[in-house]
Amino acid sequence: MPERIKTLASKHRGLVVVSVIMAIVCVIWVLPVAAVILNAFKWNTFVKTDTFALWNAENFAGWSNFITGVTFGNYNFWLAAWYSTFITIVSTFLILLFCSMAAWYITRVDSIWCKIIYYLCIFSMVVPFQMVMFTLSSTADQLKLNTPWTIPIVYLGFGAGLAIFMFVGFVKSIPVEIEEAASIDGCGPVRTFFFVVLPMLRSTLISVGILEIMWVWNDYLLPVLVLDINQYRTIPIHIQYLKGSYGTVDLGATMALILMAIIPVIVFYLACQKYIIAGVAAGAVKG
Amino acid sequence: MAEVKLEHIEKIYPNSEPTKKRKKKGDAPERKSNLKITDQGVVAVEDFNLDVADREFVVLVGPSGCGKSTTLRMVAGLESITNGTLTIGGEVMNDVAPKDRDIAMVFQNYALYPHMTVRDNLAFPLKLRKVPQAEIDQKVDEAAEILGITEYLDRRPKALSGGQRQRVAIGRAIVREPKVLLMDEPLSNLDAKLRNQMRAEIIKLRKRINTTFMYVTHDQTEAMTLGDRIVIMKDGVVQQIGTPQDVYDHPHNIFVSGFIGVPQMNYFDARLTKEGDDYKVELDGVTVDLDGEKERVLRERNVEPQDIILGCRPEHISLDKVEGQMITGLIDVSEMMGSEVHLHLDVDGKDVIVIVPSADVNRKHGAGSLDVGQHLDFTFTGDVLHLFSKVTEENLVY
Repeated sequence: MPERIKTLASKHRGLVVVSVIMAIVCVIWVLPVAAVILNAFKWNTFVKTDTFALWNAENFAGWSNFITGVTFGNYNFWLAAWYSTFITIVSTFLILLFCSMAAWYITRVDSIWCKIIYYLCIFSMVVPFQMVMFTLSSTADQLKLNTPWTIPIVYLGFGAGLAIFMFVGFVKSIPVEIEEAASIDGCGPVRTFFFVVLPMLRSTLISVGILEIMWVWNDYLLPVLVLDINQYRTIPIHIQYLKGSYGTVDLGATMALILMAIIPVIVFYLACQKYIIAGVAAGAVKG
Repeated sequence: MAEVKLEHIEKIYPNSEPTKKRKKKGDAPERKSNLKITDQGVVAVEDFNLDVADREFVVLVGPSGCGKSTTLRMVAGLESITNGTLTIGGEVMNDVAPKDRDIAMVFQNYALYPHMTVRDNLAFPLKLRKVPQAEIDQKVDEAAEILGITEYLDRRPKALSGGQRQRVAIGRAIVREPKVLLMDEPLSNLDAKLRNQMRAEIIKLRKRINTTFMYVTHDQTEAMTLGDRIVIMKDGVVQQIGTPQDVYDHPHNIFVSGFIGVPQMNYFDARLTKEGDDYKVELDGVTVDLDGEKERVLRERNVEPQDIILGCRPEHISLDKVEGQMITGLIDVSEMMGSEVHLHLDVDGKDVIVIVPSADVNRKHGAGSLDVGQHLDFTFTGDVLHLFSKVTEENLVY
């Protein structure tokens, strides 16, 4: 018995150590977000000096940083927000629609071409963006993909790898008999996809959707390289250009805009969090 | 409500693994199963001919990989037909899409739409055909009532048991009154008790709906109890087509005789002899006279005396004493089945099964006489014997 108590005690000690380490990791992860929230409501001068200080009567700026951020410079923040929203929604929609279709086709049609396309998609996840970004920007210019209305096509290309990989994993777990039953019940391929396959992909659609939304909404490099930034700016680009005439940066206003930019994604993520786990598990169990 | 005609139907899977391997290695054809391999590929179904009459219930039965499901899937349109002609209701259907064949199919794993309620599952084929909503509701309610699933109509498939799911699957198939109802091992996923219950329900269902049934199973009990006719297949080739009684009484070859009937038929090495016009069978020093009908056929066919494989069903073996006709075996295993006892005898190293009614064990044979380790004498009469050629394994009589 004493030996057992000893083992339990050492297990307990182990758990405490792991918990402490995890708590530290959590703090490290949360710290930048906390810094953004704290500093978004501080006067610019206090951001540099009292970065992690809590609000007090002296440093608390109220909503003034937000007003400055939104009205700063000669580019309309709401226009940037509109471009960001448009690009994010359209890109995610295109990725979900086309990649789920492609994954269904790749899984169900047994041909060498499907295998090649699938492995190309996997390979595209391995290639770092920096390797292709310059050729991409010139290609995008030539193909007129350099506007907010056409850049979703570029995002579709870059998002396809991960999305197809995740969709294929899940489609493989759907018994083919369900689709055969649909074809006997009166569905052609299009109806089978939209009435039967797509509804079954719901959890994976949400998982992939969340990942893509977070990526596109927060993406800075791709729009900077592809878009004409004097004409079109997304929120991350707009924040980068919050500079005064002598190159001074209003950090308080920057923090306020960063906070405005991350809130929609965080809210969206929290709302859909349970589906992410369901989606990942659904694809993983029966792959 | 239509007749189904399969004429010289063949299914060949091209470029399958064995063919590829053969080409690569350049050696003789590999045989993983006994399926025929030609230059075109593996022949999964070979020269299949069958006329299913209107409202007939035909069961395709055979071991795994014999091509029965492939044949059914060709009728459904889920597999292409390599050669031959398929007609349903007089129309050639070879290249018609599954949805335009006016058939319905029940799958082994139910294949229900998981994101729809039972009601939506049943209504789905009707909605696709743009049937008016009032009619859909009426038909769904009717089908649900027939199958006893009315109370589950608003549930999702995952909230149902296996038996209930299979009922929903059958409901989805019957709701639009198809010309032909195809069933691919619909009871295989159910436990034994539920399977018996569902089998009885399918028999009842068949009486209520007027349609042609094609049913695939590997379970000979299902085949015997459900089918008007049975098609027995092996390695892609039809072995025999006939009524359950016919295939039981007159198996065309050793495979059919062994596949139909539980426990399996007993086989003995024997010799067919001929004295004048009389045919007899000799085995283990025992001579058995054949019945008139068998002798007539053998005479007509002018069958020569030869070594044969003699078949006798366990239920036809007699323990009644006949002087000079008895064969002796040692009781190896005794299986109490309830109403009867299955005795496994060792006869010169061969396993022979004898069925004895439980009531007779003590009353007729005496206590302890049928215990393991005892010797038992048995015999059989000529009218219950099956004579198979040792070379072709075909029945010499039927």
